[in-house]
Amino acid sequence: MLGVGVGPDGLDGGGRLPGGTADAVPMAPLREQDREALAVLLSVNGLGPLTLGRLVDRLGSPAAILETAAGIGGRDALVEGSRAAEGEWRAIPLALADAIVTAAADRAKLLDQVTGSGLRVVARGDAEYPPRLNAIDIPPPALFVRGSLLSLTVARVVAVVGTRRPSPAGRRIASRIAAALSRAGATVVSGLAIGIDGAAHAACVSEGVPTVAFIGGGHARLFPRAHDRLADAIVDGGGAVVSEYAPMVEPSKGTFPQRNRLISGSSDGVVVVEAGARSGALVTASWALEQGRECFIVPGSIDAPTSDGCNGFLRDWHGLARIVSGVPQLLDDLGLAAAAGLPAPLGSNATRRQTAVGKEVAVRSTVELPSAKAVLSGRDPAQLAVAEALVHGAVTVDELVAVTRLSVGAVLGALTRLEASGLARPIHGRYEPVGPLAAADPRAA
Amino acid sequence: MLATLLSATLVALDGRVIRVEVDVAPGLPGFTIVGLGDASIREARERVRGALRNAGFVHPPRRITVNLAPADVPKTGSAADLAIAIGILIGSEQFTPRAGRAALIGEVSLGGEIRPVPGLLPMVAALARRSVRRVIVPADGADEARLVDGLEVVPAATLVEAVDALRSRRRAAPTRPARVELAPAAAASAGRPGPALAPPLPPPDLADVRGQVEARRALEVALAGGHGLLMIGPPGTGKTMLARTIPKLLPPLSDADSLSATIVASASGEGPIHALVRTPPFRAPHHTSSYAAIVGGGPRLAPGEVTRADNGVLFLDELAEFSRDVLEALRQPLEDGRVSIVRAAGAVTLPARFQLVAATNPCPCGHAGEDDRCICGESVPARYVGRISGPLRDRIDVWVTLARIRAAVMFDDAEPESSDVVGARIAAARALQQARPGGKLNSRIGSRGLRAVARLRPVTRDRLSELADAERLSGRGTERLLRVARTVADLAGADAVEVEHLEEAARWRPPSSRPVMALAV
Ligand SMILES: Nc1ncnc2c1ncn2[C@@H]1O[C@H](COP(=O)(O)OP(=O)(O)OP(=O)(O)O)[C@@H](O)[C@H]1O
Ligand SMILES: [Mg+2]
Repeated sequence: MLGVGVGPDGLDGGGRLPGGTADAVPMAPLREQDREALAVLLSVNGLGPLTLGRLVDRLGSPAAILETAAGIGGRDALVEGSRAAEGEWRAIPLALADAIVTAAADRAKLLDQVTGSGLRVVARGDAEYPPRLNAIDIPPPALFVRGSLLSLTVARVVAVVGTRRPSPAGRRIASRIAAALSRAGATVVSGLAIGIDGAAHAACVSEGVPTVAFIGGGHARLFPRAHDRLADAIVDGGGAVVSEYAPMVEPSKGTFPQRNRLISGSSDGVVVVEAGARSGALVTASWALEQGRECFIVPGSIDAPTSDGCNGFLRDWHGLARIVSGVPQLLDDLGLAAAAGLPAPLGSNATRRQTAVGKEVAVRSTVELPSAKAVLSGRDPAQLAVAEALVHGAVTVDELVAVTRLSVGAVLGALTRLEASGLARPIHGRYEPVGPLAAADPRAA
Repeated sequence: MLATLLSATLVALDGRVIRVEVDVAPGLPGFTIVGLGDASIREARERVRGALRNAGFVHPPRRITVNLAPADVPKTGSAADLAIAIGILIGSEQFTPRAGRAALIGEVSLGGEIRPVPGLLPMVAALARRSVRRVIVPADGADEARLVDGLEVVPAATLVEAVDALRSRRRAAPTRPARVELAPAAAASAGRPGPALAPPLPPPDLADVRGQVEARRALEVALAGGHGLLMIGPPGTGKTMLARTIPKLLPPLSDADSLSATIVASASGEGPIHALVRTPPFRAPHHTSSYAAIVGGGPRLAPGEVTRADNGVLFLDELAEFSRDVLEALRQPLEDGRVSIVRAAGAVTLPARFQLVAATNPCPCGHAGEDDRCICGESVPARYVGRISGPLRDRIDVWVTLARIRAAVMFDDAEPESSDVVGARIAAARALQQARPGGKLNSRIGSRGLRAVARLRPVTRDRLSELADAERLSGRGTERLLRVARTVADLAGADAVEVEHLEEAARWRPPSSRPVMALAV
């Protein structure tokens, strides 16, 4: 099913957010006891957004559900209460009612897990609730948030996702796209996975702009551990790490695809940088199409296993999924290339094709990524030579020596200096640019 | 009649002189050996009996008692066979030797030939220290025995030749020409049982190794300073190939080291030794080797691979496949250059000052870092390398990761540097280190000595602490960095460690001492 309201041209001329057009009924601000009740109810295993919504409809409010559960004969009251007058809905199963009763009894402990780990519960109706999520099929009733979601209310939110095992080039492209989007004023969301996701988040952090990570399990089960530091940096940088699951929920095969609908749903468009044939990033791309979001795919060589999924998706969804032919073109297609100020509305394919030439001119005058030289200004020539070779895709010391014509020792020394300042790092016998250098434009002089 | 002869036995790496007393007396025929001999000595009875008969002598049908003295020296092996056989011949008056003290060392075969025994060199040396003037040795061991000055070495291929030599004062001609080339310790091990064979192919030259400049440089630095080296990389990237170039890259042993290397080679029974071992040993035990084969031990206290690699290189290919026990056992030799072998009879300590070189894949499937080829989970590679390096991590100064090289590099025209060129740089760097007070390789200098030889200028010292801070190095990590930097400086012929040397050395630290400079993985 397509999401309500937001098609490719979901933003109207006034730049209104999709959330405004969907579910037009404005929501009443949430009472504090309801917020707490939501936090408790969301930790009940098997109580999904649909059933929860039904219960709220029948019983009045989340707090009322908990009250019912905590009362005498709570289980039966819940079952009865969940039955619709017309008998249109089936009642909730006994086991679920039991689980809710147990949660109601554990209320204090469950709330402790939330506040204890510094989480806030942001519910639908809260000003901070990501407006675009209101427009998806089944919006999460509340989100567990570390950090701030305000960056999701900006005019343009773009998801950058991809494989957990990217090629060095893929990682560089993800960094560059994320950095360019940040500079153009868009907020980047992703999934905090290792690989493309991590590169995208890290690029935003090093640009000093907020980025938002949707994780596929509870906060206390943050995964992968390797990204603990990245998660902290995201929160410190004004962004957020977000989950629709209560803190103790284990991530699982089932939770990640559900989480992916939030990544696409909270953004205007999804960019898939690299994805193998069965990559979860393709799930996000599919959600994007289903939710009426723009879907951009970075194509790859037909021989590259890391691009199998991307190329296949472009073929399968010809006409819907769009090709990323370059970073400026992507910004253009996202309406981010226009002169400073509000982004232009996302146009249809047809208008874009007509105006492509004219817009490309505009691109060059706006968002520009720095060249390696600019990132490295003031550093010694060896570092500069090595850094330029790195952004051009030389990855082993063999290649760096061949390109720079420096001695092995000089290349190694330059790599140490670059690494010490967070501009390069070794990985499996290769080197790759990171931080500002990853975002450097290899074509800029 | 009682015959008394001298022979020797081997205790670990030491020769011990023993007295072989043979009493051939009238009485019920019998053959008894007394005096702390092990099973192989008791088997001497059967060998000697057959040898005498088949060499045309008589095994006397009398009561034969052999006493091996002194009683407190444990006797092992078959080196006393020859003395026992000759003792029986003298005791039963089948021949009369000329006067003069001759010692005999050798195993006899059932056919009456004299076979070489392990440890001939230290055994002959022990006899020389006891002023023995003449020793009869297996013909194959003549060159080895002649490495000891001060006594006459008489080779004998058969029991008959041995008897002749004892009868006359005529100097027996060598039964075959002595070869004088320098025999590498590991080269002649073919045919011996046991897994510890060096690769049988001729070692490759560095000029055959394409690309991999980072790993080549790491190897050069490691060899120049005697630093432990770990190469991590996917299959077929040249790790084993690089390691196999090592024998040609190391300078020959000094006289003192050469002697101890030869003794170890002799005691290990690797085959005939024709000259002092000048090439540093390169031992490459297979990962299925038993604990005893690596550490040493067994009934004969045979030196293990760690001792056989003394003064040379111990190469552990596929490091992750070695058993945890074996890796744990390497800790002691890596710490103090010695290995203790504990046996029921007490512990012996053997030298084991080897340089460790190891290679491993980055993960169980071997393909971590190769796009989509790796089938291991994301956190597997880090744990895989972490697990193997546990016991060894602090003892490996130089870490390098190899990536697959491009086909173009395999076939381009650029001729890589040859082993001769690189070997010359290594030798020069080692000479610089050995010329310093103490004469130790950088890998073996203590922290105080290290600070003295580093000769850091203030600006270099600042850079060192900057690097250490940036990399969050521990005290030990900082020291390791400086130690390797000293070697890089030696390779450059520099008197003091400079910033550039530190910065190169910083590349060789273990992967996980690296803070996550980049936030994302
Ligand atoms: N850099 C190289 N230059 C030239 N030949 C190479 C190189 N790397 C590999 N080869 C060729 O490939 C063969 C296999 O290499 P080698 O045995 O050294 O690989 P390895 O890294 O030890 O792999 P494994 O992890 O499987 O043990 C070599 O014998 C050589 O012929
Ligand atoms: Mg190998």
